[in-house]
Amino acid sequence: MTKLEAKNIVKYFNHDSHRLKALDDVNLKIEDGEFICLVGPSGCGKSTFLRIIAGLETPDEGEILFDGKPVTSTGPERILVFQEGALFPWLKVQDNVEFGLKMAGVSKVKRAEISKRYLDMMQLTKFADSYTYQLSTGMKQRVAIARALVMDPDVLLMDEPFAALDPQTRDLLLVEMQLIWKKTKKTIIFVTHNVTEATVLGTKVAIFSNRPSTIKKIVDIDYKRPRLVEDQDLFPIQQEILSQLRPEVKKS
Amino acid sequence: MKKNTLIKQIIFYVAIVSIWQIVSMTNIWPNNLFPSPYDVAEDLVYTASDGTLFFGIGTSLLRLIIGLSIAISAGMLLGIFMARIETVNQTIGSLVLGLQSIPSVAWVPLAILWFGLTDGGIIFVTAIGSMFAVTIATYTGVKNINPHYIEAARNMGAKGSQLAIFVLIPAAFPYLISGFKQGWAFAWRGVIGAELLFSFLGLGFLLNVGRQLNDISQVFAIMLVIMIIGIAIDGIIFKKIENKVMARWGLR
Repeated sequence: MTKLEAKNIVKYFNHDSHRLKALDDVNLKIEDGEFICLVGPSGCGKSTFLRIIAGLETPDEGEILFDGKPVTSTGPERILVFQEGALFPWLKVQDNVEFGLKMAGVSKVKRAEISKRYLDMMQLTKFADSYTYQLSTGMKQRVAIARALVMDPDVLLMDEPFAALDPQTRDLLLVEMQLIWKKTKKTIIFVTHNVTEATVLGTKVAIFSNRPSTIKKIVDIDYKRPRLVEDQDLFPIQQEILSQLRPEVKKS
Repeated sequence: MKKNTLIKQIIFYVAIVSIWQIVSMTNIWPNNLFPSPYDVAEDLVYTASDGTLFFGIGTSLLRLIIGLSIAISAGMLLGIFMARIETVNQTIGSLVLGLQSIPSVAWVPLAILWFGLTDGGIIFVTAIGSMFAVTIATYTGVKNINPHYIEAARNMGAKGSQLAIFVLIPAAFPYLISGFKQGWAFAWRGVIGAELLFSFLGLGFLLNVGRQLNDISQVFAIMLVIMIIGIAIDGIIFKKIENKVMARWGLR
């Protein structure tokens, strides 16, 4: 079943005086429960595409259909995890995780019950009463993921969430992310510039071309899980994606 | 280090009072224009012993608290609207800058005509003289919020007053604190100034009584009290709030 569909998405950036075409006729169908990774040269507009799906930006042309209905604004069924987490520094970890529930008017007792489940899942229980500045970058991203999962969204949108992590922490989270995906059966759209990351995580990898970007190719990855960064069998797929990507990066 | 500062301050104040005492004993200026520290202390004890002083302090502080509360609530509300709605900023925003340049006491004639010689008039002067400082700080604070905080909150369902109370105000708090501090300083000047001109109670009134009775000791004594209250509120209340906020945000 198609969960999300992008139809002929066109988006311009306004750069002072001139308009820059960022996305040019992006079409993409995402099935329910898919884990799709978007890769592309930096500045190609893949993050913008993600923000359009989230409803934080509107396309100049085309539309996003969620369960067949056009997306016009943000919604709790599509939750975005930001690159730097965007955690609220004035709230403790647990209150950060419960934020969406509080906005929805869920009672304090019920909130604590739900947040506990996700704090456990992300191994954050010990840090429930910490403030965010007391956490490492990796821990912050765990909180950001827990905060998104608490909303129980149909689609989890992730904008280079592991880009700022050290390699060890990232490898650990790459494994955990696969487990979370399996356990929660969420549809995940994951933007990254790291091809290894994309092949480890994705059931599919969509390759964006240089600006004005469109989807150049979609690669299916049918390989056992949990995958690891050092899995040799993923190398050929990574090479294939890189060979598609390299000419685009050169153009940018 | 901290102890060191305290010792220096004690020596400084002991020196000042000693010099003051010596100068007053030389009779360069007549005693009815330049009282000795002993005269001032005597006056303080006298006004304190019959309760006049404490009643005056209480009255002024009560007016301050009411006026400042109004200024902070209204100031923040206006600041948030200015920061979030461009038209409000372009129109009311320009007026705010003008109003901010009017000294508190310049509102006194208007207050007397509108409210008569009442507490309402004093509170009006206090509130209006301090609210625009809060407005400008709130505006700056909200404008400087990391846009990802607002986007994340909207994505998790926060809107309208929820967004203001749970995100905009706490996120802008480091700026708001400086606005409150400035607002309080304006409010304190406003209360004393207004009381001086048209009240029958409060510290400003006692100051005026001192002048009318040619009681220079009382004038000195009340000015001293006004200053000490200023130091106490700044150094105890605001310092505490500031430290707490800074610590929570990991800024210290």
